[in-house]
Amino acid sequence: MNKEFEHSQFAHCESGTISTLLTSYGLKISEPMAFGITSCLSFVYLPFIKISNMPLIAYRQMPKNIINRISKVLNIKMEKRKYKDPIKANEELSKLINQNHLVGLQTSVFYLPYFPKDMRFHFNAHNLMVYKKEGNEYFISDPVFEDIVKCDEKELTKARFAKGIFAPKGFLYYPKQIPTNIDFEKIIKKAIKKNANSLLTPFPYAGVKGMRKLAKSIALLKLDNNERYIKNFLTHIVRMQEEIGTGGGGFRFLYAAFLQESKKYNLDENLLEEASTLFVKSGNTLREFALLCVESSRNLDKFNPEKISEKLIEASKYEEEASKLLKRV
Amino acid sequence: MEKIDIPQEENKILEGHRKVMYVSDEKGEFHTENYGSSVEEFATKTAVEEFDLLAKESLKKIQLNEASPIEYYMYKNRMDFPTLVSVVGMFSFRVKRHLKMKNFKKLSDKILNRYCEAFNISLEELKGFKV
Repeated sequence: MNKEFEHSQFAHCESGTISTLLTSYGLKISEPMAFGITSCLSFVYLPFIKISNMPLIAYRQMPKNIINRISKVLNIKMEKRKYKDPIKANEELSKLINQNHLVGLQTSVFYLPYFPKDMRFHFNAHNLMVYKKEGNEYFISDPVFEDIVKCDEKELTKARFAKGIFAPKGFLYYPKQIPTNIDFEKIIKKAIKKNANSLLTPFPYAGVKGMRKLAKSIALLKLDNNERYIKNFLTHIVRMQEEIGTGGGGFRFLYAAFLQESKKYNLDENLLEEASTLFVKSGNTLREFALLCVESSRNLDKFNPEKISEKLIEASKYEEEASKLLKRV
Repeated sequence: MEKIDIPQEENKILEGHRKVMYVSDEKGEFHTENYGSSVEEFATKTAVEEFDLLAKESLKKIQLNEASPIEYYMYKNRMDFPTLVSVVGMFSFRVKRHLKMKNFKKLSDKILNRYCEAFNISLEELKGFKV
């Protein structure tokens, strides 16, 4: 089944995993394409949901959105399994690998020994692929690593059955049946419109409005006796963007790449080009925004909440403009 | 096409690994390229240091007989309270009690073992915890 499997490194774990999975099962799909047709670009700021005492901030749709939506959008039959019993989960995984399957897994970063020590946090929605087992060792294609990595069965099991928010519950998946005639033109058009609408949602904590909401709460930050919180809050925003996200506004670049690739499919080229440029601008602005956040955290004497806030608003304007364009695609 | 700058700074946290991001060339074609971001490094380092700081503060509270070693190990394992609750599978009001020294001292080995498993330590390490 996965004879043509080839490990590649990607910007983001979920879109990377889906790209490699589908490609090795016969449907060549790039990472930006996987990200774009599942309408994954987003922004969410939920101050009332706390993770490690920090509000929930996300620069894309919730984890598992790509896996779930790609089967819907492309009409792919995806085998998805969850487990209660780790022993059974391991048995079935080994069996699938022996049948020459490439299998996607959801794991917690904290329990994966091949991750650098300081990157190991309790983030439960990391995606990777397993393709071989020798003795007690699994061979893993982890999309954020340059090369193949290995992991002991015991530790991988721990990572697959980690508890907490987004608990993976041994979740595994692989495509079972892929249709041959896919009308990409229609699918891409629909996906772009859907994404544009979701960025322009009236819900005040998401999309363009969510960015402005966050900008407003930054502008309201006051230093008095609040230094530790401000430092942690600002770097938390950056982490969600850079580390959990990808390369500082990297999701924006990913989406720009998708729009660029979509030109092949008989859509309005000028419109796509313009929107793509706007998302690159937004990504660049978000990187400047991250830089401002970190500069302030390094030296709180220079903390300038209005300036940071304005940068984020600037990015939101580019995204609003791009989304309005894309609604017409 | 708007230019994308690829940061090539040091990021020690990655321990020699390199991540990729999407960039476009002059023709507007996108491809992945390695990058290194000191901004990313600082943000991650701050998060790591915050857990270290919380663990240190916990040690002080243990000395004063306020907090229990469970609180210390929670931070040491980079967990927040809801994560710990979910890992040990008890009600949160119970776990909250166990974070206090006076309640911790009354705990049975059976309960303590559940925490040991969560933190991957031995019963002795937890029971005989010394600051």
